[in-house]
Amino acid sequence: MITVTELEKLAELARIKLTDDDKRSLTKEFDSILGYIDQLKKVEVSLDAEGRVGAVKNVVRADGVIVTSPEDRERLLDEAPQRIGEFVAVKKIL
Amino acid sequence: MPIKLGELTIKKAHDHLMKGDFTAVELTRAYLDEIKKKDGEIHAYLEVFGDALDAAKRADQMIEEGRAGLLTGIPIAIKDNILIKGKIASAASKMLEDHHATYDATVIAKLAQQGAVFLGRTNMDEFAMGGSTENSAYGVTKNPLDPTRVAGGSSGGSAAAVAANMALAALGSDTGGSIRQPASFCGVVGLKPTYGRVSRYGVMAMGSSLDQIGPFAKTVGDAKILLDVIKGKDAKDGTTIGDETYNDGKGRSENGRGGGKKAVIGVPRHFLSGDGIDKAVMEAFDESIVSFEKKGYEIKEIKLPNISYSLLVYYIIMPAEVSANMARFDGMRFGLRKEGENGIRDYFESRRAGFGSEVIRRILLGTYVLSSGYYDAYYNRANAVRKMITDDFLGAFKSVDVIMTPTAPSPAFRIGEKTADPMAMYLEDIFTVTANLTGLPAISVPCGSTMRDGVELPIGLQITARHGDEESLFSVGEEVRCSFGEEV
Repeated sequence: MITVTELEKLAELARIKLTDDDKRSLTKEFDSILGYIDQLKKVEVSLDAEGRVGAVKNVVRADGVIVTSPEDRERLLDEAPQRIGEFVAVKKIL
Repeated sequence: MPIKLGELTIKKAHDHLMKGDFTAVELTRAYLDEIKKKDGEIHAYLEVFGDALDAAKRADQMIEEGRAGLLTGIPIAIKDNILIKGKIASAASKMLEDHHATYDATVIAKLAQQGAVFLGRTNMDEFAMGGSTENSAYGVTKNPLDPTRVAGGSSGGSAAAVAANMALAALGSDTGGSIRQPASFCGVVGLKPTYGRVSRYGVMAMGSSLDQIGPFAKTVGDAKILLDVIKGKDAKDGTTIGDETYNDGKGRSENGRGGGKKAVIGVPRHFLSGDGIDKAVMEAFDESIVSFEKKGYEIKEIKLPNISYSLLVYYIIMPAEVSANMARFDGMRFGLRKEGENGIRDYFESRRAGFGSEVIRRILLGTYVLSSGYYDAYYNRANAVRKMITDDFLGAFKSVDVIMTPTAPSPAFRIGEKTADPMAMYLEDIFTVTANLTGLPAISVPCGSTMRDGVELPIGLQITARHGDEESLFSVGEEVRCSFGEEV
């Protein structure tokens, strides 16, 4: 069971604003979902087992500089909600 | 010659194009006309591309110059979470309503190089989260067979487009069944390849240890044609695998079943007795098994002791990965920004305004299972059980070559039937999530149908094979004979 305070804490961590209506429906839905996934606690497992899928393993490569063309740079900058010249504009932090 | 869309497959269309029976431009125009006629009601597409005919012209030129491949001039629909440079890629979210892709996904580059024609981008559950396309921020996709029912999801638009002859084939993505379940609901073939088989560079990540791109097609043979073009190692996706990764390099799978020998079929009966499974689904499934037996296939009952935990493991691991992947949407670098009183509040406002309720639910659930104090109880434990489930499957594959279950527990359900209860919707994934948790390849092939309110609804058979052994899916899938729909 999840309390409204716990839910608010999660929303704070996830950086999502919640309305009172959201909180009401989410606590209810969380109860039903957590009630379900809590069954996992009954399974006997050794917790050192790693959930590795198939033959997939870490792949590393050397760091390298990739030069982006001016056109691609323009395209990327154009996707920002706000830009000033060659920069993505955000609110002042300090 | 007149183009009969209902009778076309990729192979047949290719032959006609090569013989000059019709041109790629004529073929594309036929599909665009069909979209114009039908998509007002079905809503499979979020956007039909204005330059599809230009691509068809280039394809005709390739054919003329003798440079054509099997996919040259073939009209294909693309799920809206796969990037095509210069086109909007919204993942059916308000967050990316005006977002233009700045580069091509690897699968798009490969298809374009073959001269495939992209008809448009298809509707989906927002960021691929859902099983009915009802979570799209732009309205639901209707099932072409019965518009009061869902097309399935999350790749519902791609499935509906192929089923309604509004595309000859399509691409989707599958994190927990998002290709196979809509394929089952719409009566088409849908393939989730082995994890790593297809590069995900340029597809929007949902659950990075689960996601795969795969084809929708009208026949098993067409699905294979598409996979052969889009698969392969890619330096831009470190998880991609080559043909040699799982076999001995001679086209044989791990246990060395050579050509000619019939696959041994495993059936986990103990997992198919729940009362949540529609009776007609089980009947169609049993009939398929019997027909395989009659064809001389050996059927073996197998035990997958931990399979019943699959869905709960999935609903821990998937939200955990979702919460991490969705963190990139911050209203700063791309996508929607809604102003708050300061930079930090910009995040809160933008994410609340940009994301729909299912996305928010999964982000919060993921944040919960990853938070300190719960991490061991949920995420770590889920990963350990995931390993146990995978070991069960690998064990079973020592004595069988493929495993069969239904694709979904029911035929297509009614629009709105499951929207009030997220848990009911999640149960739709019961048979499909195992392939994502284990990384195994799985295909859904229409195997039967059932009458509901005077409409014949298709039922899908799911076939799962060893890692890297899509070949067995194709060879066994080809043998599924189905009373549903027209023969193509």
